[in-house]
Amino acid sequence: MNGIIHFANAVFKPLIDMGAPTIMLVVLTVIALCFRVKFSKALEGGMKLAIALTAISNVMAMLTNAFQVPMKQFVEHTGIHMDILDMGWAPLATITWGSPYTLYYLLVLIILNVVMLVWNKTNTLDVDIFDVWHSAFVGLFSMYCGAPLWLSTILVLFIGTLKIINSDLMKPTFNDLLDAPDSNPMTTTHMNYMMNPIIMVFDKLFDKIFPWLDKFDFDSAKLNEKIGFWGSRFAIGVYLGVFVSLLAGTNFTTEAGWKNMFTLSFTAGTCIELFSVIGSWFIASVEPLSQGISAFATKKFEGRTFNIGLDWPFIAGRSEIWAACNVLAPIMMLEAMVLPGNRLMPLGGIIGMGIAPALLVVTRGKIIRMIIIGALELPVFLWAGTLVAPFVTNVAHQVGASIPAHTLVSDTTMEGPVEKFLGYLVGNAWSKQGMFIVYALLALAAYLLLFMWYAKQMKKRNAEYAAAKENKD
Amino acid sequence: MARQIKLVAACGAGVNSSHQIKDAVEAEMKKRGHNVKCDAVMIKDVNEDLLNDYDAYLTIAKTDLAFTPKIPVVEAGPILYRIPAMAQPVYDEVEKICKKIEAE
Repeated sequence: MNGIIHFANAVFKPLIDMGAPTIMLVVLTVIALCFRVKFSKALEGGMKLAIALTAISNVMAMLTNAFQVPMKQFVEHTGIHMDILDMGWAPLATITWGSPYTLYYLLVLIILNVVMLVWNKTNTLDVDIFDVWHSAFVGLFSMYCGAPLWLSTILVLFIGTLKIINSDLMKPTFNDLLDAPDSNPMTTTHMNYMMNPIIMVFDKLFDKIFPWLDKFDFDSAKLNEKIGFWGSRFAIGVYLGVFVSLLAGTNFTTEAGWKNMFTLSFTAGTCIELFSVIGSWFIASVEPLSQGISAFATKKFEGRTFNIGLDWPFIAGRSEIWAACNVLAPIMMLEAMVLPGNRLMPLGGIIGMGIAPALLVVTRGKIIRMIIIGALELPVFLWAGTLVAPFVTNVAHQVGASIPAHTLVSDTTMEGPVEKFLGYLVGNAWSKQGMFIVYALLALAAYLLLFMWYAKQMKKRNAEYAAAKENKD
Repeated sequence: MARQIKLVAACGAGVNSSHQIKDAVEAEMKKRGHNVKCDAVMIKDVNEDLLNDYDAYLTIAKTDLAFTPKIPVVEAGPILYRIPAMAQPVYDEVEKICKKIEAE
């Protein structure tokens, strides 16, 4: 026995000491090979992930180092305790994929999907491998809070099951939103749609109390066209640099004050643009594995027609998503400043792509509702982002980002805020026990009951779609 | 070599779905002997000016625009299903556009 452990240590210890990029190069390559991906393609993917991790670490260090002093001054000068820097989704996705556990959760969720297909519990084959990071994030966070691997796995499987059921529930709505025939297989298991149940509660309230608000709906495409470049990523980075400099008490009577402001602004704009560029490398790195898994799954189920689970943007052509993002960005900035318990300074995640798609699906494009409900649910995102900041910063350090001491990073609009609270409660229920066990059980029960109520509403909606179709025929 | 045909694909963040479409279309058109370059952008950044620089616009599904594009728009979503047979019609449509431009 000792011999085996000694041998394992001798083999793996040097690899682990090499750091996350090297570990992931080896792990991703080997797993892709297991799914019969050609060696050169598998290695290409592994290498791309290694360089994406290295690059994202460096850009995160660049951004946090630039903002460290101005943000400290901002807090001192305004008394507003916003000291966590918002990186947006790309760095969080990259560093989550920097953990071998993410591949473990991926395998678990693939097995879940296959089992549900075999038992005819779903008709969705999920080929959106990359977005497994949302679920892995919840699992890893619950482990960070003290849950053992088996418990985190159960939590991920629980949420994963509901996500797959949700993709079937939403299918007819997607056809409606896309004006597509029933033969269109596009659906999604994306985590952001797990906010649907909560949005549905607000939407029903609207039906009862404020239905007259819908007549103020405006042409979203026209609004987006007018906003144009002013709402682009780098421009937002520049505004934030100016905003922080202004409120940090920068001395604008000196040349140095102006220079510092411009430098900070351009650094923010640069980093936000680079995050997306690096994000595309890292998604490309998972591509060979995604191909391998999809080919494997479609072969296993030959002859059966599926709905296919994609990443959310197949509905990004609906302009309401972008109009909602554009209007919600300044609203989020204001909320972040006054919300008790929020410590996040919005930056990289200010275009709320993790928020808007679910609003579109539930309200079916009623833009005023999307904006108002979005503004009402934003605090949940800000609190969840604040809650996970120590964990995110810890993982960033693990993959080698030299973020300065006492600086925290997170994301303002990361999909699945409620699931993060579940991860927190489940983790603490295991490690601290006591009342946390009660809270965790109550939260899980409430989460499930709300989802069941939502499922009932969606089934009603889907029956209406079916009836409307019959009347037409 | 034939003139390069410039396409643009768009999705949510301009990093995932649009890149899958870009890579697949570039590889397939190369196989079929066309010189194609495809860019990937955020749908949010697509406007009349941007489309003027391209020969065709590849969307995933129906896309709202505040103007009527002058270039052909192709719904390339089926490429994302990762089932080769379903992607074929999209490739054929793109190839038709390539051939038309090359003939000019």
